[in-house]
Amino acid sequence: MPHVKQTAPPAPGSGRRNLVLAAGAAVLVVAAVVVASLAFRGGDDDASAPTTTTPGGAGALFDGIPQERALLGSPDAPVTLILFEDLQCPICKQFAEEGLPGIVEEYVRPGKVRLRFAGLAFIGPDSEKALLHVVAAGAQGKLWQLTDRLYVHQGGENEGWVTDDLLGRLAGELGLDHAKLATDADGQAVLQQANAMATEAEQREVPGTPWFYVQVGDDEPYEVRPGSFAIDEFREILDDALAG
Amino acid sequence: MSDRALRAGVAVIALAGVAVAGYLTYVHYRPGALICTSGGGCETVQESSYAELFGVPVALFGLGAYLLVLALVVWDSEVARNLAAAVAVAGLTFAGYLVVLQAFVIDAWCVWCLVNDLAIVPALTALTVVRAMPPDDDQVIGT
Repeated sequence: MPHVKQTAPPAPGSGRRNLVLAAGAAVLVVAAVVVASLAFRGGDDDASAPTTTTPGGAGALFDGIPQERALLGSPDAPVTLILFEDLQCPICKQFAEEGLPGIVEEYVRPGKVRLRFAGLAFIGPDSEKALLHVVAAGAQGKLWQLTDRLYVHQGGENEGWVTDDLLGRLAGELGLDHAKLATDADGQAVLQQANAMATEAEQREVPGTPWFYVQVGDDEPYEVRPGSFAIDEFREILDDALAG
Repeated sequence: MSDRALRAGVAVIALAGVAVAGYLTYVHYRPGALICTSGGGCETVQESSYAELFGVPVALFGLGAYLLVLALVVWDSEVARNLAAAVAVAGLTFAGYLVVLQAFVIDAWCVWCLVNDLAIVPALTALTVVRAMPPDDDQVIGT
């Protein structure tokens, strides 16, 4: 008679017990990992200790580069890079820290590329107040410097971080006429410029910020999407525009 | 619901999880793909230091977990079913932690994270646990 190997039947309830044990162990592992990660967590999200986004201090990145309201760079530059930004957008701040310095030093300062700031204020009231003031700073030739400083001091969304006190301090640091800045920011001319930027964004169907366009000469601008803010990504885009 | 249908359901939901966790992993490493919109705070959440565990993006952990569940669905044994349920329960626990972080610590909501934490992970947990539950141990022994 052939020998049939027999296995013992599972004990009653063993299937459920295994499942409960496995799930319980999994929960414990996750809890241990979370506790360990919190215990060893290094940095925090506190933005209370601002540092400059630009090497050399307040707005030094832009020293010696011609500015005309929202434009930075030589009027003879064959290519313009248009930057749609919201001053409350943390990704725009990241771009200002990681992408902008390389572009300015490598393309704007030598006169190859001009930058045009197109500010938006869709995140909320702090965006609007910040935008009106940087546009007003454009009348004093320091839109880019004030933009840079506001990114350095960027707070949480609509937490009321764009205070008169902050704007006054930044104006002092940058050598702006604060009284004129405040007056201009409340004026119709600045409002019209800001509205023109919003209208352009609407016409181009800009979905968010930061968002980039390249314009060669007077041609119609075209959208570009860098995969990151590394200078290599922008080199590819800008060299292509300069060659074309 | 038959085990075949449950198995297919687990596979579909795990694939949805791969898509969402894959996207969040992609934008973590490619910040140029991330933009601020008027809709929500994905960027705030993704920029938060809580977006990483021991230097590894949490989205990458999620991607690994979904791929593991998919592999366990393919393996399809009692052990695999229990392991898949355990991974899903672990994911549910972690998703709960992430939701608490978004609500009370980071103070911002990431829409894609919520889709993962409140829809995909709970659904995956429910299906994998139901699938791992033996029909009734006493009846099986008695037959």
